Amino acid sequence: MIVTELKPLDEILDSISPYSNILIAGCDGCTQPPRGIREASALSQLLELGGKQRGKDFKFKVTTVVKQCDSVLTASALKPQMEGVDAVLSLACGIGPQMVAELFPDIPVIPAQNTHFMGEEEREGGILEDRCTACGDCLLAFTGGICPITRCAKGLLNGACGGARDGKCEMDPERDCAWELIFERLERLGKLDRLKEYRPPRNYQAKAWRLTP
Amino acid sequence: MTEQIIEEIVAVKVNEEHCSRCSICRSLCPFDAITRDAETGNIIVDVEKCQVCGICYSACPARAIDTIYYDHDSLISYLKKAKQEYGSQALVIMCKGSAPDFAEVEKLFGVSNFIPLSVPCVGRIADEIFLEAIEMGIGKIYVLACDEDYCRFERGSPLAGRRILALNLMLEQLGYGKETITLKRNSLKVKVDKDLCIACGNCVYYCPYHAPKLESEGGISVDLDACRGCGLCVVMCPAFALELENWERERISTLIPQLLAEMKPPKLLVFRCQWAFFPPLNGQLSPNIRFIDLPCAARVDPIHILDALQGGADGILVVACSEEDCKQEKAGGQAQRLVAKLKERLSQIGFEDRLHFCSVSPRYPGQVEEEIGQFSQRIKELSKGGGNDSNRTKASG
Repeated sequence: MIVTELKPLDEILDSISPYSNILIAGCDGCTQPPRGIREASALSQLLELGGKQRGKDFKFKVTTVVKQCDSVLTASALKPQMEGVDAVLSLACGIGPQMVAELFPDIPVIPAQNTHFMGEEEREGGILEDRCTACGDCLLAFTGGICPITRCAKGLLNGACGGARDGKCEMDPERDCAWELIFERLERLGKLDRLKEYRPPRNYQAKAWRLTP
Repeated sequence: MTEQIIEEIVAVKVNEEHCSRCSICRSLCPFDAITRDAETGNIIVDVEKCQVCGICYSACPARAIDTIYYDHDSLISYLKKAKQEYGSQALVIMCKGSAPDFAEVEKLFGVSNFIPLSVPCVGRIADEIFLEAIEMGIGKIYVLACDEDYCRFERGSPLAGRRILALNLMLEQLGYGKETITLKRNSLKVKVDKDLCIACGNCVYYCPYHAPKLESEGGISVDLDACRGCGLCVVMCPAFALELENWERERISTLIPQLLAEMKPPKLLVFRCQWAFFPPLNGQLSPNIRFIDLPCAARVDPIHILDALQGGADGILVVACSEEDCKQEKAGGQAQRLVAKLKERLSQIGFEDRLHFCSVSPRYPGQVEEEIGQFSQRIKELSKGGGNDSNRTKASG
């Protein structure tokens, strides 16, 4: 899922301060935790309280969209809500505000989230970890299901480097060395010979910015 | 200080002079909190294990057990007063765990004007209370107990069932007619609005009873037999697709401004797990404090805390049981995390001092009084010119 984090409330209050009638648009899609109607309602309450502290009386409407990255779903969910709205505060990942901006070019849109990465969730500890950089050229079949582009600090194609200590990365002693993980996994699968194969530098020009599947 | 209170006030005590060592209390205690000393034969209550259900108190043939909650005298004096107040000869005794609102009680029993008696577990109501109520002129008693497997005190509801069966037989022999006491069972469980569900799976993850399941065709289904009504899924649902019977979001949202309107500042609103402490039956409410009961602290909803702050509450106290005491498989433990997260957000707008979380146990009634006292004092100071005022100056300057 896409991992996002609510922006500091002060920053949001600064961003919305020129406006009075604000539509908070949640997104039920892939952000984790889902920033749907509950999050939109709670945020409107927090911002109303915060606004009063600043002597500002905001009027909020709240709604949610199944997926803000879908133009049809976003247009049909938001259009009926737009009357009298000065600005839209989007709870989606970075794609949502851009979609809203395209669909409603005359209405300012403000992101309520900082979008961090595509990650996986370890529920017990409540930890979300970066797993995919969307590089456009997936290597996981060769690296035992562990992504070196994302998880190796240097994004090495032929690791490990000499910097790993006790299985940890020299950049951050908390972080596992991705290439050590790859080694262990391939050893377990009996496929260590894959590491003998040299992977030439990749053509980053190949990374698509537009696709028609 | 705390230790002193623990020594002085405990909710359940055995009076050794009256005790006949019959051990009925020991056999009925659902929590193995009562033992018998092998040498002296004395009955010993392990207060740390006691959950203050009152079953032992209600069953002791020698009246050798003292409790400070809903004891004989306070129940009888309440009944005398309430009989006058409600002008009715019908009494409804209901367990807090399964009692819907009064309108629902009317529907369930088909009775419109009645004396309400809401207790934590009907299993704690002794035979003599029923008999004295009848002697007082109460002609009909309705009892609303939890479904047996829903009982928070495990044996309370089944015990009430057996007790009422025996009492009815006896009353019939005495010429009072059939079924002077009517027993019904009820449980309050989750409701799903399938149209709102976004199939995120949060409820599946959080439910301590594994009641919700994600369906292959989308959405969820809930095994209502497994649901124990803690309300955690409701709070964790990002789509407002779940509700808990009797604790619907709207119902509590409507109650909050009503309570705030009847209070005097500084206003302290307490969201309490209804098992964390028991309010006295004939107690007087301070004009500064009102309580909202929750089925478990797990149902405490950030939306309601924010509702209250927006409505002008000066302080919000969330009272939970400790994780070990939680009647809902530790679901209440989530409340602490949830409140901490909300407090962090409130700190960004200068309201963090307005929200406080504590866990207490009814076995030490002094605990909750102390927590309420301390927090009341703090919000009194804040309202005098601390917190909010300094924020206002900062914001306008």
